[in-house]
Parts: sequence; C-alpha cells; structure tokens
Amino acid sequence: MKNLPFLTIAAVAAMLSAPALAEYPDKALTMIVPFPPGGASDTTARLIAPKLTEAVGQPVVIENRPGANGSIGAAQIAQAKPDGYSLLVASIGVYAINPVLYKGLKYDPKKNFDLLTVAVRTPNALVATPNLPVNTVAELIAHLKKNPEKVTFASSGTGSSDHLTAALFWQQTGTTGLHVPYKGGGPAITDLIGGHAEVSFQNLGVVTGHIRAGKLKLLAVTSDKRIPAFPETPTMAEAGVPGVEVYSWQAVATPAGLPKEVKAKLESGLTGALAAPEVKGRFEEAGFEVVGTGSAKFSQFLDAELGRWKSVVEAGNITPDQ
Amino acid sequence: MDILANLALGFQTALGLSNLAYCLLGVFLGTAIGVLPGLGPVATIAMLLPVTIGLPPESALIMLAGIYYGAQYGGSTTAILVNLPGESSSVVTALDGYQMARQGKAGTALATAALGSFFAGTVATVLLALFAPPLADLALKFGPAEYFSLMVLGLVASIVLAQGSLLHALALIVLGLLLGLIGTDVNSGTARYTFDLPQLSDGIGFVIVAMGMFGMAEIIANLENEATRTTMVKSVTGLLPSRADLKRIVAPVLRGTALGSLLGILPGGGAMLASFAAYSMEKKVSRHPEEFGKGAIQGVAAPEAANNAGAQTSFIPMLTLGIPSNPVMALMIGAMIIQGIQPGPSVMTDQPALFWGVIVSMWVGNLFLLVLNLPLIGLWVRMIAVPYHQLYPAILVFCAIGVFSLNNSVFDIFLMAGFGVLGYVFRKLDCEPAPMLLGFILGPMMEENLRRALLISKGDPMVFASRPISAVMLVMALALLVTVLAPAVRRKREEAFQE
Repeated sequence: MKNLPFLTIAAVAAMLSAPALAEYPDKALTMIVPFPPGGASDTTARLIAPKLTEAVGQPVVIENRPGANGSIGAAQIAQAKPDGYSLLVASIGVYAINPVLYKGLKYDPKKNFDLLTVAVRTPNALVATPNLPVNTVAELIAHLKKNPEKVTFASSGTGSSDHLTAALFWQQTGTTGLHVPYKGGGPAITDLIGGHAEVSFQNLGVVTGHIRAGKLKLLAVTSDKRIPAFPETPTMAEAGVPGVEVYSWQAVATPAGLPKEVKAKLESGLTGALAAPEVKGRFEEAGFEVVGTGSAKFSQFLDAELGRWKSVVEAGNITPDQ
Repeated sequence: MDILANLALGFQTALGLSNLAYCLLGVFLGTAIGVLPGLGPVATIAMLLPVTIGLPPESALIMLAGIYYGAQYGGSTTAILVNLPGESSSVVTALDGYQMARQGKAGTALATAALGSFFAGTVATVLLALFAPPLADLALKFGPAEYFSLMVLGLVASIVLAQGSLLHALALIVLGLLLGLIGTDVNSGTARYTFDLPQLSDGIGFVIVAMGMFGMAEIIANLENEATRTTMVKSVTGLLPSRADLKRIVAPVLRGTALGSLLGILPGGGAMLASFAAYSMEKKVSRHPEEFGKGAIQGVAAPEAANNAGAQTSFIPMLTLGIPSNPVMALMIGAMIIQGIQPGPSVMTDQPALFWGVIVSMWVGNLFLLVLNLPLIGLWVRMIAVPYHQLYPAILVFCAIGVFSLNNSVFDIFLMAGFGVLGYVFRKLDCEPAPMLLGFILGPMMEENLRRALLISKGDPMVFASRPISAVMLVMALALLVTVLAPAVRRKREEAFQE
C-alpha cells in the first residue's frame, strides 16, 4: 500500500482538474450584444444563436448590454474569463471605429479579444432627398463644389460609420458638406424623406423600401460590385470615386486567451451556423450578406479597417472631446 | 369602395382563429407587464422578438402591437393604484388617479381610464384606416424647427401642470432640463455631466427617474405615517362610474382623443406629449381648475384617452413610411426585418393583409382589453387593501427588476434609489415632480432640434418664424404664457397695493 498516498493525490488532482478536462461546453453560452434589441447586431446574434446551439449542444443566451456606442458591453467581454462561455456580437463601430475615436476606451480590440469571425456585412447606399437637383455622383460632386459646406449630410450620430463614410467621401472627392448628426439612423432617414436634410450614407437594407417607393434617390452603392436588387446603380468606384468601398459589418469575438480547442470549436460552430442555408436565407431577406470567413481573415481585415478609419478621423479632424 | 374591401380583408385576417388568439395573448401579456411597475413593453417585446421568427408575419405583428397598447392600459393601473407611472404617458394619470384611489374611488378611476382608452382607441383606429397616408405626409412636414417649436409649446403648457407655487414649478422644470442634458451631446459627441461613468454616457432613463421620484418617494412618505403605513385605503366605494361621472368625462375624453390622435402621428415623441397636453388643456378649460391634482375625474379621463389614441396613431408613420416614432415601433420594424418584410411605404401595397390585419386587430384588441379590464377592476382594487407592510416590499422588488431589465445594469437600480431619496426631499419641500419630469423629457429633445435647426439654417434664427407650422406654435406658446402669467402678475400687484 505504498502507493496509496500517491494514488490519492492523483485521484484528487484528477478530480480537481476534472472541470477543465470535461467536455466543453458543459453549460449555457452567453452572447453579449452591446446594443438595444432590434438593431443589426441584435438581429445577427438572434439569427446565429439557434444554429450555434445545435453545434455546441448547449443553449446560447443573448444578453443586451447597451450603452456608450457599444463600449459598455465590449468592455464587459474584455474583462470576462476566456473560457469560451462569453461571446460578443458587435458592429464595425465597436471593433474598428470606437478605438480610433475615443481616448478613454476600456477595451482594445486587438489586445483584449480573440477574434472568431466576421459574420455578415451590408454596403451603404448614397441616398439623397428627391428634391435635390442631382441624379448622379458626378452631379453631386459638382453641386458640393458649387456650394461648399452648405449641403446637409444626415448621419446616425457623431462618429458613426455613416458619418465617417461621408467624411471619407469628402476626402476622396475634395468636397465639403455640412454634417448633421441624429440619434440613430431612423430619425436621419425620416428627415431625408421629409426634405429637411439632403444627403446621407445609410445601410442599403434599411433604405431599400424608401428607394423603391421613390421617397429617396439612390445615387451609388459602396459595395465592390453592383447589387442584384439595383442593377442600374453604379458602385462608388464605377461612379468615379475610388477608395469609398465601405461595408457595415457584424462580427463575433471572445475575451482574449481562449484554449485552442475551445476556439476551434467555437469558430467552426459559428462558420457552420453562418453557412447553413436557412440562416443565410434569413440574413439575405434582412439585407445582409453572409461573410463567415473565420478567425485569421477577421484579424487581417480588422487591421485594415482600423488603419483606414484612423486616417479618416485624423484627416477629417473628427474629435469628440472625451 | 376601396376602404370597405380593405377593411374586409383586415377583418378576415384579424378574425382568423390563430390571429385572434395571438391578439388576446398580446393584450393579456401587455396588461400584465403594464401592471407590474417598471417592466415595460420595450423589454417584453425585445424578449419575445426571437419567438416571432417562427410565426407568420401578421400574427407576429398583431401580438407585438397588442403588447404595446395593452401595456398602455396596464400602465395606468399602477399609476392610479400605487402612484407608479411605468410609462411616460401615465405620469399625468398618476396625478389625479392616485388621489382618487386615496379617496377610495380607485374603481371609478380605473373604469374611467379603461372606458376612455377604449373610446379613444376605437376612434384612432378608424382614423388610421381612413387617413393613414395623408396623415403620414403631415408628419413629414415636421422638421427640426417645427419640433423645437412644438417642444416650446409643450414646456409652456407644462407650467399649467403645477398645482402649487409657480416659482417651484419653474425651478423644477429647469432642474429637469439639466438632468436631461446628462449624457453624450448629439452634435459634438462630447460627454456632459457623466463624471467619466460609462453608465451615464447615454443619459438617465426616464423609467428610472419616474419610478424613483414617484413610486419610491411615495413609499418612503407612506411609511412615515402611521395611518398610511397600515393600509393605504380604508374603504373602497363605487367600482363603476356613476351616471354623473360619465357625464363629466364625455367632453374630456373627446378632447383627449382628438389631441392624442394628432400628436401621436409625429415621430418625435408626439404620443408622449399627448397625455401632458390633454391634461393641461382640461385644466385650462375647466371651471374648477383647483380640483385638478386632488382627484378630478377629468384629469384621468382626458390624458388616458389621449395616450391611447396617441399609441394607436403612432403606428401611422411606422406602417405607412417605415419610420419608428418610439422605441417600441423601432422594435416592430426590427420584427418586420427579421420576417423579411422591407418596412416602408410598400408594405401597404405589397402586404395588404398584414397592413389591414394589424389595423383591424387593434380595434379587436381594444375590445379585448375592455372586456379583460372591467371585471379585473374589483381584483385590482382589492390589491391596495392589502396591508402595506406586505404591499410595499413587493412594489420595491418589482421596481428593481423592472429597472434592471432595461439595460441589464445594476447601476440603474442604485440610480433609481437615489431619485427616490431626492423625490422624498422634494415632497418635504412642497415641490411636485411632474413638471421636473416634463422638463427632463422635453429638454434634450428641444436642445437637439434647436441646434439641428440652427445648424441647417446656418445659424439663422428666423427659421423658426419663417416656417408657418413653427411660427403658429410659437405664437400659441406665447399666448399661453401670457394667460398663465397674467393672473399671477395681477395677484402680485393686488398684494402690493394692499400693503
């Protein structure tokens, strides 16, 4: 019985380490959406969750933690344990814009997150109120040059992705406009339709109905190729403005430092969920294009986005005082 | 006639067995969450959003709409019984409704609210069916300048809300305005009065302030007093309004319905203004304005009618233009997108069954609510006869759960507690919280639209006078201000002469 103490220790050690060795996941996963329900990030999370539940064999609970342009929920994930039970589903704003815009941010997307995959993307549409006397991008540029800093560009808020897209557009075309921020895209679109504001870059899916009904004029799309729903409408590059290829995107991340096999399991679960035909179909109906290209591509893409928006913010001198 | 064919299609959709069931489920859920303080339709609809993916679009929207207007009914129940307005629109209902409850007339107040709401809901639904597209175009005429002037009118009208000292009311409105400024400035993105707390960067939620200032302060004050500490109400008289009561509420309900239907169409918080505006108007036209705030039945009937009418007509911009007029409508649009329906003007032509089905279901839902609520009044009234030491912990717990459910944030619960203490202090100082709350709601919207209007006009203030709708509202505000101030000035002068 010489070995007894050793065996006991081994047994105890085995018991102690059992939770770590137990098959991941053994409890529900939480998906933090740092925005209120009903928005794009929320819709993305809710469309993915059922398939991810099937893939990992545990329920996926969605929790909305809105506030401070998504920073509150993102900071919560940055501080959470990297055990694979906390996920973040958030937008271009949280991953690529807040970090170049705000100084006192409580998270760093490169340091604090393990990036899993970009989920979906949707291009912006350059839309104008029907009474604006321009019908093409070239005419808009001429109009802007004739009326410097006069034409109103509605956005869903200072530092929002549509605000920065407008800033990028001005920088690429050497024009200026008057930025008019709103509290979210809804009121901005309302004032465009009512003719109180003149031009805006809005997510294509949100304004499709208004364009079809003739309430808004579509000048161009910011995608890399034409959109099947509007085959007549040129892309920005085709309209003579290169470098304004912009998508609003949604992506999934976890706290940094996931165990390798957990990360692999989550990544394959997510890309699998996104590739499922019924999920894909739902996203297309909602105006999103499924990306689902995995962790490595996301990391490269995020670098490119961070670099690009940083230079737009610096060139446009966009500084919300924090 | 087109409209008849459309309505027939609507009835066909809404009266289908499963849609009837979803409508009933919706209004039942709505009533239940409306009654529970703090739990609002926004949180509930958000939670149910994923469930609706599996439903046909008509059923989904019918149920969600039912939750929304059901909550308007339920919300007035807690406002009347325990002075807890869970929705901004029930703040004014609490003013006279709660006083009626204290006098043992809770049943009458509840029945008045239900009948007024039903009538208003019916009228607004007919309006919606007949005039939705032209009304939506009217809403689009409202730009930043018009909203600013509307808010000015609302703020001036709010002075009428004050029951006591005019000076107190003014001070509280200004305090409300200041509290409303907390958070990120829309124009510059600058954080104001946030003390580097990220939880404050989006401002303070209305529900937090309302439940603290009204509900929690009320509880603290009740605990202070031996009589109210044991049971709130000694005897309950008259469950249903008498013939004389009914006579007194006819005109207020009609006026409230008209005002609410009109303001509800405006996508910038119009429905919220409706109940405040209706109350102010009743107090102005009443021959006994001194009864208001002490249990005037008109003070319950008019705002209740106005807020329900406004709740119905706020669907007009959502259904006809795809424009959300409040957070609930934004969620409904989210539900439509999940269903693959492109919100916008095309919904009416592409999805007639959905459009007309939802409209008809609103009337059906209102009928359900009346049938559901009238018999329940007896039950609700018995609730306030529960010994207070059992009632108030329950109220506090529900308040805390409700506030937490808004943002999943514990910080908000502490904030509510802070406002409870503040509300108690104000009570001791004879300061009423209603004007403060109106300042709190209107202030930020007013600032946002003022600055946006001036930004678009390149700093020219004449934009407010040169746009006709805006000019008319400013003139009305000025006239109202004169009529409010004139008696006060005269009294001051009389006092001066006497000395």
